[in-house]
Amino acid sequence: MSSLFEYDKNREAASAAKVRALEALLIKKGVLGSDSVDAVLSHFETVAGPFNGARIVARAWRDPEFKRRLLEDTPKAIAELQFPGMTGAEGEHMKAVANSESVHNLIICTLCSCYPWPVLGLPPYWYKDPVFRSRGVREPRAVLREFGVPISAEKEVKVWDSSAQIRWFVIPERPANSEHLNEEQLAALVTPEAMMGVALVPPPQVT
Amino acid sequence: MRLQHYLGGLENLGPVNFFEKKVFMAEWEKRIFGIHTVMMAESAHLDKALPKYPLSQVPTTFKDTWTWASLRTGAESMQPFEYFKYRYYEKWLMGISQFFVDRGYVTAKELATLTDHYREHPDAPLPEHPNPALKEQVVRYLHHGDSGLREPVVPARFTVGETVYVADPEAADHTRLPGFLRNKKGAVAEVYQGAFEYFVSTGPDGLAGPQHVYCVSFHASDIWGADKSEPNTIIYADLFDAYLKPAH
Repeated sequence: MSSLFEYDKNREAASAAKVRALEALLIKKGVLGSDSVDAVLSHFETVAGPFNGARIVARAWRDPEFKRRLLEDTPKAIAELQFPGMTGAEGEHMKAVANSESVHNLIICTLCSCYPWPVLGLPPYWYKDPVFRSRGVREPRAVLREFGVPISAEKEVKVWDSSAQIRWFVIPERPANSEHLNEEQLAALVTPEAMMGVALVPPPQVT
Repeated sequence: MRLQHYLGGLENLGPVNFFEKKVFMAEWEKRIFGIHTVMMAESAHLDKALPKYPLSQVPTTFKDTWTWASLRTGAESMQPFEYFKYRYYEKWLMGISQFFVDRGYVTAKELATLTDHYREHPDAPLPEHPNPALKEQVVRYLHHGDSGLREPVVPARFTVGETVYVADPEAADHTRLPGFLRNKKGAVAEVYQGAFEYFVSTGPDGLAGPQHVYCVSFHASDIWGADKSEPNTIIYADLFDAYLKPAH
């Protein structure tokens, strides 16, 4: 056990050099092209990301019929928006669940880090951290309080553990005083955390 | 009992580090995430995927199957104290580089030598050798994915509303059954259309071939005990057929 806490003093520099060496060798051996990894990273800047989820949420807020279709058949409703890649990697089977006056939803992956890539992009560090994965199913209300989202005992909490093909995301409640906003302005209020169920969407700032 | 399968429910862990909203904690992490995703996009098993990928026309020397299951099997079979010692992408870097050594794509020596080189010269460039046809395949894969949806071979065993119990199979190197649900009582909330094939067979754990998947709901009190759980809380999990038993 004595070696357990022997970290490389320059842990980050060591990892950075190792991954660079690995990528260089794989390019040299024909496993990767020098443009392959950048193609992946660029996908998450332009095609897959929380900007899609935010627009889907904004549309659902403004159009109750769309929201009904979204909850009934999520991929089919999302297809109406014609965003590219919406049934792509880690989004082959997505499902939306909606917060309401009586229900609060939280998504989690206790075994790993399953996450709906096309609509939310890549998961933030805390979602993958063992502490959230452990506590989110045991004491979700306590975790939500820590996130600044106290839930009354009368409100049902539903936790969705992504353990097979479905990748879940949350339609948060529409904030007060947002009736005058258009879809783009509404989308700007929606954070990834709100679509994971650990944040509420605050009312727009009055200017 | 394997600790990595039983994360759900561990206590005494302190606060969630939710201020850390970054996806990548260091720039280098992006590169290993990218390497893993390219490997999934050029994995040999994709010639049988639902999207018709022209895999035989993709110029690559990568001839193995690499999926989420490969990565997860590696992480779940780590000695558990080692597992918690490393950050998320540190484990990826260890597992993926070991895979390339084990499969003979690179030698441990050349990896170590080149690592030393980049450690001394962090800004030394990567080789410049673009591969446009592989790049196209990467983009295709990201847009069309790799669904496990298949034709069911048998009818679904359970119906919506039915009470079910979770099985307690032998612990294998990899599972899709969250440990905290073993032997617990739940109710079928949804029977998903079609059957789903997981990337690999998990042996005694029970995944093999296309199976029905059920969304099962559990009262928190049925999992943790009435006096040890929060009120009015339901936990849902998507469970493969092999992980369920009838109530009678």
